[in-house]
Amino acid sequence: MFCETGIMSKAKPQQPAVIHKVIMVGSGGVGKSALTLQFMYDEFIEDYEPTKADSYRKKVVLDGEEVQIDILDTAGQEDYAAIRDNYFRSGEGFLCVFSIKEQESFQATQDFREQILRVKNDENIPFLLVGNMADLAEQRQVTEDEALKRALEWKVTYVETSAKTRANVDKVFYDLMREIRSRKMEASRQSNGKPKKKDSKKMKCVIL
Amino acid sequence: MAPRYPPPLVTGVSPKEGPPGTRITIRGENFGNDPRDLIGLKICGMDCLLSAEWKSSAKIIARTGPGKGMGDIIPITRYGGVGSCTVGFRGYFLQIGPLQESAVWIDESQTVQSNLDRGRSATTIAAKEEEDPLGILDEGDKPRLGEDQLLEMFPEASGNLSLENFSPGWYLLEHHRNASFSDLKAGLSYMKRKASTRSEGPITFVRSNLTTILDCLDSLTAMYEKYNEEDLRGDCMNSYAVLLMQAKSCADGLFQEVLGRKDKADSTRNALSVIQKFRFLFHLPLNIQRNIQKGDYNMVINDYEKAKSLFADTEIKVFRKVYREVERRIGGFRNMLHKRLKDTHNTLDEQKKLIRYLVSLEYKGDPAWECLDNQQNWLIELLDDCKDDHIEEEKNSVQAENHAVSPGGPQWKPLSKVNKSPSRTGITRESSFSSLSSSDQQAAWKFRTPQKVLFIEDITDIMLQHFPDYWRLGQSYFTREKSEKGVKIDTSKHGKMKQMMTEVVSLFSNYVRAAFLPESLEGMPEAEREKFGVWPKSGKQDNIPGNWLPICVRNIRNCANYLSGLDGHGDSMIVLKDLAFDMRTNCMFTLLKQAISDVKCLHTKETWVVETDDQCGGTTQLPALFENIVNEAIQHLHEVVVMNKPSEPEIFSQRPIQKEATMLCSQLLQAFSICMEQLVFSPPLQKKETKQVKIVIGQEVEVEQHGDPIPSLDKRLIIMLSNCRHTLEVVVPRIIENLTKHGYVEMEKALKAAQDTYGALDQRLFSSYIEQKSDPILGAMEPNLYRGGFSWRGWQGQAQGVRNYLKEIIMSLIEVHSEVFSISPKFVMRVMQKITEAVCEELCRLIQCVTEFNAGGAIQARLELEALHSTVRIYSTNHVEACFKEAFDVIPELSEEGKLMVAGLLEQFKARMRIQLWCFQSEDEPVPLKMMTHADSSC
Repeated sequence: MFCETGIMSKAKPQQPAVIHKVIMVGSGGVGKSALTLQFMYDEFIEDYEPTKADSYRKKVVLDGEEVQIDILDTAGQEDYAAIRDNYFRSGEGFLCVFSIKEQESFQATQDFREQILRVKNDENIPFLLVGNMADLAEQRQVTEDEALKRALEWKVTYVETSAKTRANVDKVFYDLMREIRSRKMEASRQSNGKPKKKDSKKMKCVIL
Repeated sequence: MAPRYPPPLVTGVSPKEGPPGTRITIRGENFGNDPRDLIGLKICGMDCLLSAEWKSSAKIIARTGPGKGMGDIIPITRYGGVGSCTVGFRGYFLQIGPLQESAVWIDESQTVQSNLDRGRSATTIAAKEEEDPLGILDEGDKPRLGEDQLLEMFPEASGNLSLENFSPGWYLLEHHRNASFSDLKAGLSYMKRKASTRSEGPITFVRSNLTTILDCLDSLTAMYEKYNEEDLRGDCMNSYAVLLMQAKSCADGLFQEVLGRKDKADSTRNALSVIQKFRFLFHLPLNIQRNIQKGDYNMVINDYEKAKSLFADTEIKVFRKVYREVERRIGGFRNMLHKRLKDTHNTLDEQKKLIRYLVSLEYKGDPAWECLDNQQNWLIELLDDCKDDHIEEEKNSVQAENHAVSPGGPQWKPLSKVNKSPSRTGITRESSFSSLSSSDQQAAWKFRTPQKVLFIEDITDIMLQHFPDYWRLGQSYFTREKSEKGVKIDTSKHGKMKQMMTEVVSLFSNYVRAAFLPESLEGMPEAEREKFGVWPKSGKQDNIPGNWLPICVRNIRNCANYLSGLDGHGDSMIVLKDLAFDMRTNCMFTLLKQAISDVKCLHTKETWVVETDDQCGGTTQLPALFENIVNEAIQHLHEVVVMNKPSEPEIFSQRPIQKEATMLCSQLLQAFSICMEQLVFSPPLQKKETKQVKIVIGQEVEVEQHGDPIPSLDKRLIIMLSNCRHTLEVVVPRIIENLTKHGYVEMEKALKAAQDTYGALDQRLFSSYIEQKSDPILGAMEPNLYRGGFSWRGWQGQAQGVRNYLKEIIMSLIEVHSEVFSISPKFVMRVMQKITEAVCEELCRLIQCVTEFNAGGAIQARLELEALHSTVRIYSTNHVEACFKEAFDVIPELSEEGKLMVAGLLEQFKARMRIQLWCFQSEDEPVPLKMMTHADSSC
């Protein structure tokens, strides 16, 4: 019915070849989707509707270069914990979000960090620790120091954002994309220089 | 082409995967400016436009279709065309088991049915086995440990979850050898969560392995029965049986809830299917209601028939209840139809339909008959109302007229009446009939249609509009009964029907008769006549103007003709035909009578202006007017009298009518003579007098307009004489011819009578004219003759020539001649003959009376006789000749000298009087010289 070739010829060549795949992680209700939608569409969603898994992709200009950002907005709820692995595997960079007014969500970042590292098996995976809801400072439960300390520990950047006021929203996505880009360039340099070093260390630990 | 907008682009989808029917939020750009701009939406190749909900140009909410696998989301907008997407949607199918709760309706026919058919399959347990209890996905890229390796590590154990000697170590090594410790920990917590959700423990286990357990139980039972039968084990069987029983009761306990739910579900399903199956019945009351509102009565009846055949005798309570409801509705429907049937404004078709409906709804009684009855009453009512209304109007107008006539009374305004029926004013037809009428009431009548005419138009309208419907209804009533029921022909009703028809028709006819032919109802008792309406009599103005009658007659005839065209149904048609016939005759008589009276009034129209033409001689316009009136009457009557419609009797076929018609015709013809006679002998009064007496306005105007003085009697006489002659010779035969042409019979009689009348009138007029003319001449003769002491005896003087008296006589004769000639040359001979005869006779008588002549006297007498004789020669008759002869005999013989003298003097007289004498020449005697020679010879 619809001209498939037309779509192909019109839409596809326009898309930049470079796609940076970003995954939003964090506990339920911390504002992953809000951040995503604010970044994507400049809109702030007031009402809360648990996400299952949403997918967004758009063209952005990163430091003068046209690239595509692909955002996978995952479910924060524990119910979906089991399917996370699959998602994480495809991610190139992670925004680990917690709510500054919810201590538990901050604690959960630890688990997410671990799961990501396990799946990606890479200590230097592009990763940003994001403290959301900065506009609700009066309800703050997680101090900036606390968060910064953890970021330092993980060797990642900590940024406080507000999906509501759009404070630092673009910054976290662009910073992450830059990290991803530099990682990719590094990787290509490596693969060009010498064959890819494969971590073939085998765990022989058996738990009885 | 609309301006092109950028094509829509989808950049976000939430969620990105799900089973069919997942509600997804699609975000992006250029989705159009309003919902109508979105003209297409494809998700995974499936069109989802129906479920699409346009939120903004950047957001659409839709439900996915049954697309499977990864696919694009393509919106299409009116101005942007086919869009593209950067994100996709993955559709997958969920299989929901019979025991899982589901928010949506699942088609169980495959799963449940097949399971029931095929027995319990082991899919459940197999599926469970495949699922990892720890929720850790197998990495898959590491080689697995071999079975024998594991067996070596765990002797006497197994990795099978369902076995008793299951060893977790074995399992973990086998499946998750590469998992990290934290993974395993996560897996443990996952398993714990899982376990907690199925906290019932054994029940959950049993549930998830139901089929196996049932199989076990079945085989155990089978075993038990088999052992029992063969009595192999004896006592131990008891405990076995007990165990089995326990297992059963335990199972029952376990599944009580589930089974209860299942039973409920089954019964619900049953109920649903029953409802589905008998949905027709359950929806019927509502449907009936709806169809009645929609006016789809056929549907209602069909449904009802169907329901009746299916459920009328049902024993099932629910059905009975619903059916009762249906019956109730149908009852209401029936009543409604019945009510509508009573409403008389329906058309014939509607009525037929309603009746059919009622019959098919088994309405008690005979709806058609009721309808007929109803219709008849209504018709009668209509006729009644029509009559009453018009009589009322008439009364009012009569009153108004009376007021208007009485001096100082309120002025009657014809306009107000006219306004009431503007459509009728157009037909007002002016004719000599009404314009000749000589009263101001009549004049007022001219301005509007007479009430009776309106009445007849209305009443025939009613008949024409409604009676045919009524009749057809009646007709179809019998034909229907014949065709449908076969048995139910009620002959008594046939008769009754006929009677009803006749009733209506005769009522109609009587109303018309009351208005137009009241005398035809005289045979009835007074009270009964009053019922048909008593039309007010407005004194002189009793009858409506004749020119309206043909319209009435036409109406009635059309009506009669049309109604009898419905198939002559006996009595009623005879009544109608009689009515039409009577109307025709009445019309004819009335018109003829009116014409007669009009003709009689003609004398007021005389202007005394004589127009001469070569053929007819001099006439006034009166004969032409007369002819006009008659011809117009004939013309008016043409349609009424001559044109017979099929099945109408010849109007002259009845002897009395024929006689009367002939009589009226001849009266009409003769009426003019009266008029003329009146004009001559008692002419209308002079202008002065009319002003004093003030008779009627119309006449006064007439006289003023023409202003001609009425001529003297002798002039009038000669004019009328000419008119009479003209009428007799030209007009009457023409009229007779016209009449005969129009079918009037025995016109010879009328002609004869007319000729007699006009002949007599002619005679009368002629003789009085002659008298009028000759009397002064004769009277003056003797005194003039003997003037100056003249005496035949003592005549001494020389004969001087013809004396003056004779010249005066001749001059008088010339005067008469000219008078007659100016009116009608034809009469000259006739009149002159008569007058010369009288004159000559008188002169001769005078001469004869002379006893003695002297010579001079004899010469003189001879001379004068000769002179007269020669002068009137062309008008002379035998009688005149004889007179002259006698006179000549009396005069003594003249001497030769005397003779010569007479001849000389005669010659002298002729020469002197030449001009005058020309008048006495006949037209074929051209020259006066010749005449002289004649005179000589006669000497």
